[in-house]
This record gives sequence, C-alpha cells and structure tokens, in this order.
Amino acid sequence: MDSTVKTSKIGTRMMPYMAILKHDMKTLWRSRLVRLWLGATALLTLLLVGSNWANFMDGTLIALLLFPYLVFPWFFVVVVLGVTPVSGSQAETLADGILCRPVSRFEYLLASWSARVVLVLSVYLVVIIPAIILVILAKRTVPEDTVTVYGIITALGVVGLVLTFLVSLGFLAGTLLRKPLLAVVVLIFIWYPIGLILSIFSLEEFSPISLNRAISTQLRRSWQETDAEAKNNTKVHDTEVFSDQVSNFFSLLSGAPSKPKASKPDFFEGEKFDDLSLFRVSLGYGLPTIASVILASLCFYWRDL
Amino acid sequence: MEPAIRTEHLTKIYSQRLIAVNDMNLQVPCGSVFGLLGPNGAGKTTTLRLLLGLQRPTAGFAQVFGKSCGPNAVRVRSQIGYLPTNPKLPGNLRPIEYLDLLGRLSRLPGEVRKPRISALLRAVGLLGATDQRIQTFSTGMCTRLGIAASLVADPPLLLWDEPTAGLDPAARRFTLELIRELGKTKSVVVATHILSDIDQICDHLGVMHEGRMIFTGSMQDMKQRLARHDFTLELQGAAEDIRRLAHEVTGLEGINALANAGRMLLVKIADGRSRSRALAEVLKLIDESNLSLQAIHSGQNTTENAYLQLLQEDEAHGFHR
Repeated sequence: MDSTVKTSKIGTRMMPYMAILKHDMKTLWRSRLVRLWLGATALLTLLLVGSNWANFMDGTLIALLLFPYLVFPWFFVVVVLGVTPVSGSQAETLADGILCRPVSRFEYLLASWSARVVLVLSVYLVVIIPAIILVILAKRTVPEDTVTVYGIITALGVVGLVLTFLVSLGFLAGTLLRKPLLAVVVLIFIWYPIGLILSIFSLEEFSPISLNRAISTQLRRSWQETDAEAKNNTKVHDTEVFSDQVSNFFSLLSGAPSKPKASKPDFFEGEKFDDLSLFRVSLGYGLPTIASVILASLCFYWRDL
Repeated sequence: MEPAIRTEHLTKIYSQRLIAVNDMNLQVPCGSVFGLLGPNGAGKTTTLRLLLGLQRPTAGFAQVFGKSCGPNAVRVRSQIGYLPTNPKLPGNLRPIEYLDLLGRLSRLPGEVRKPRISALLRAVGLLGATDQRIQTFSTGMCTRLGIAASLVADPPLLLWDEPTAGLDPAARRFTLELIRELGKTKSVVVATHILSDIDQICDHLGVMHEGRMIFTGSMQDMKQRLARHDFTLELQGAAEDIRRLAHEVTGLEGINALANAGRMLLVKIADGRSRSRALAEVLKLIDESNLSLQAIHSGQNTTENAYLQLLQEDEAHGFHR
C-alpha cells in the first residue's frame, strides 16, 4: 500500500518531465532532419559493410562503421539536434506554452536534453547493432577475429558517450548564443579542429580520430583485461589498418579510388593512441557533458523569455 | 484578505536601456476583474511576464496569493492561467493532444484531466475541430484554444493579455461574456488597450503609462475622480445662432462655451459651480433662442475621457516626477 502511494507520488512529480520528454521525442521524430538522418545513416552503414565485406576483419570493419558517428559527418546532425530547444522562435512558443505552466526551467531543460539524447542514441543503435550482428555472425573470406561482447558494448558505449557530449555541447551553445544558426557555425569551427585544440593541451587521446583508432583494440578486449595489459596487447597492425579505414571511408563517399599508401618520415608523425582507457574516456567526455548541462541550465535560469 | 497580486517597487529595465516597468506598486483584490489598461508599449505584457516568472525583475518584487514570483516559482504558476496575445501554439499537435500535454504539465491525474479537456473544448466551441492540427486554426480558434489552455488547471487567477485582439465581433462578445462569467469565481486580470472591453467587464482598473502605474482603483473611483464638468450639446439651427448662443453662455458666471463646426456646443463648468444649476441656465438660453436641442452628451462617465485625461496629466507632470 505504502509503496503504491510512493510510486504514484513519484509519478505525479515526474509527470511534467515525462510529458515534455514524450512531446519532444514525438516532435523530433516527426522532423525531416531525423528521418533523413536515419535513412542516410542506414544507407551509409550498408555501403560501408558491402564495400568492405571481403577486406577487413570484424574489429576493423566495426570500427569503420563507427567512424561516421565519431568523426564525420553525423556529428553535424547531432549538434543541430542539440541546438534547437531554447533558441530562436522556439523560445517564444516555449514561454507561451510550457514555461508559463507549473514547470521549473531545470525540469524543462532536463526533459528536452533527455529527449534529444535518447533520440540520437536510438537512431545510432538501431542502425549499428544489426550491422554489427551481421558482421560478426556472417561467414566471410577474411581471417578470424577475436572481437568480444564486452569489447562491442564498451566501444558502442564510448561512441554513445561522445554523441551525448555533442548533444550537450549543442544544447549549451544554443542556450548561450540564442541563435541556432550562429550556434551551429560556432560548433563546427570548434569541432572540426578539435584534434588540434586537444593536442595543444596534450589531450589528443580524447580526440575523435584517436578514439576511432583505439576502437579496434577495444573491440578485442575482454572484461578481465586491465588497461595496462591491453596497452601491451595492442596490435601494430591496427594502426596501419586505421589509415586504410579512413581513406576507404572517404573514397566511398567521393567515389574516387583509394590512394596508394605513402610512407611518412618518423618525425612527421605525432603520438599514436591505439588504445583507450575507459575510465579516462568516461571522465573526459562525461564530466564536460554534465558541465554543459549544468551551464546551460544556469544560463537558461537567468534568461528573460 | 490577501490580495491576489501584490507588487512593490517592481521595476524591469532591459539591457540597461529600456525601462519597461517603473517602480510599480499594485494590489489586485481577490475575486476582482482587474483591467490593466495602457497604450502599446506601456509595460502591461512585461508586468504579466514578471508575475509568471518568465522574466526577472531588475528591482522590487511581485507576489501572487502571498507567494513570491520567479523563474522556478512552480507553486505560483500552478495558481495562474495565462493567455498570451495571439498565443504561439505547437502547430503539429491537435487540440486534445495540446490540452492533455498542458494537463500533464499541471500534474493533473488522468481521471481529472480527460473530462475537463472535453468540457473545455465544448465550452470554447472547438469540439468540431478536435481532429484538425493547430496549424490549420484561424486566429480566433487559436485564441479560443488559448483560453481553454489557461483554464486546464482550473487556476484561481487568470492573466489574459489582450484576449480580444484579432477577434471578430461574435468571438469578441463570447470572450467578454466568458470573462464576466469567470469573474464570479476567479480573480481575472485583463491587459488591454481597448477601453470598451474594460468598460464592459472590469470592476477594478490600473492604468499604465510608460512603465508607470498612474492610477489604480475601482472603476467607480476612476470615473468619480476624473469627473469632467463639461457637456456637449448637439443643436439644430443656423451656425450664426449657435455662435451667438456660445457668446451668451460664456457670459454666465462660471461657465465657458465653445461652438464648433459640427453644430455642437461644448459647455465647460468651473469647479465649485453647481452642475445642475449651470445646465438649467444653459437650457433656458437655448429655449429662448431659435435653436432646438437634439442631444446632451456628458463626459462624466466616459472611461475613454478619463483615461485620456490621465495620460495627458501624466505627460504634463513628467518633469515633476
């Protein structure tokens, strides 16, 4: 009896949050941007799997499938989805319809942010999981690989975390700058050279390129393996394959044939991050995500509507 | 009894440049229909948004039923039903979906929400449009849906911002009658610059000008306070006779008269002079002349005159302020 009362109290308390979450998800799902994105991501995944079916081992192919989410081009869609909730003409509809009701601004922001995160992760997982299952279970003419379930889950988690961070960054930029177009332009100028920016602060291992390079290794890790052990087991082969992946990806998009391999002098190459520490990556992307949401909430709290 | 709304030294300055609300002290009695009157840009909408916590005051404070207003004042907003001017509604929803969303935002359980939504849709005459998306609605339909939206949580205080803006005569009459009906059980604040609306429905009034509250009180107070000691007499006869009459009337003690082109005679009575006696003397002169009296218009009870006089006085005293 007591627990029922408690549940209904929580249900009543959470009612506005759930209502906004549901409403925002419905609205987003009906938008052309999301539907186009879903179609495009499914098509690109299919093309990547098809064109590399007989070329790469499981781990390498899965890492290639995750490349569009980490590096290019889907970050752009994710940022645009994050930017919109409290910027532009949306703010007026918000004030007239939702924020003049008994809803706190934090409740609204949290629900709106959750809706975007859930939607972005849903589109990503709905496409990528069947593709991964297909790659692992199919009998292909490539050598056997040692991809683990733990590795797949953590790799998907890392990419999911980066996507969540991108939504939050878009959310913060939209709240701060108010104009959606300006926010998107600013974020593109920040995110494109992010590798360079991170390398200035010796944080290059967090750059999307470094993460994508490390994912093939992560996919082969078992849950008992520690970060240190994994570092020793990193396959040198993966490093070489990574550059193949990237050129393959872009040649697929452009339709041009892959460029022949060029050897670079050692001094030209920066530090390579062929492995990732889950703990560090979780903190590296998790904390800025939380900070972005808190900053966006504070900024929105002080704003006049 | 605690007032429905109380503000003290409420001030809102935008970007250190524009004073939207200037040191406003206001008390709206519980159960009253309060008209917030003022020209465009007087600060009416800003005042309502400050009460809702959509904007933060630069100085002073506002309270609704004794609770402070602010961005996170959920309890305050649970007691307010707000209707914005030409409300911006989510066009992709249907009326029932929209009202259901608002009911959920107000934490209304399903068993209360559902019957109330259908009753409200019937009351505002939108039952026949429940399968249409809001984006297909006309201005009048949007306003009616906005009215229903403001009533979903059955709040004790309604803040309606220009509820008759853009409505056709039938919809306007419907809205005014609804306000009168709602005023029997709720406190209602109607912000408008349409004087006839105020005249028809309000029992209390606040006049705003350039962000300042230049008058608050009952409608009767306003009319009494600003009693104009003048009449306009509509006459029939030659223009020369009217001019002569004006001359004769001006000769009477404490009375001044002015004839205008439209065969009207404006009679102004000095303070302290009995209005009835002065009028009797003027009428006697008309009777003795070749003119016939068509109508007498008194400015005393016209809210419009009082309102315009208030604005003029406020502008004239601007420097002293």
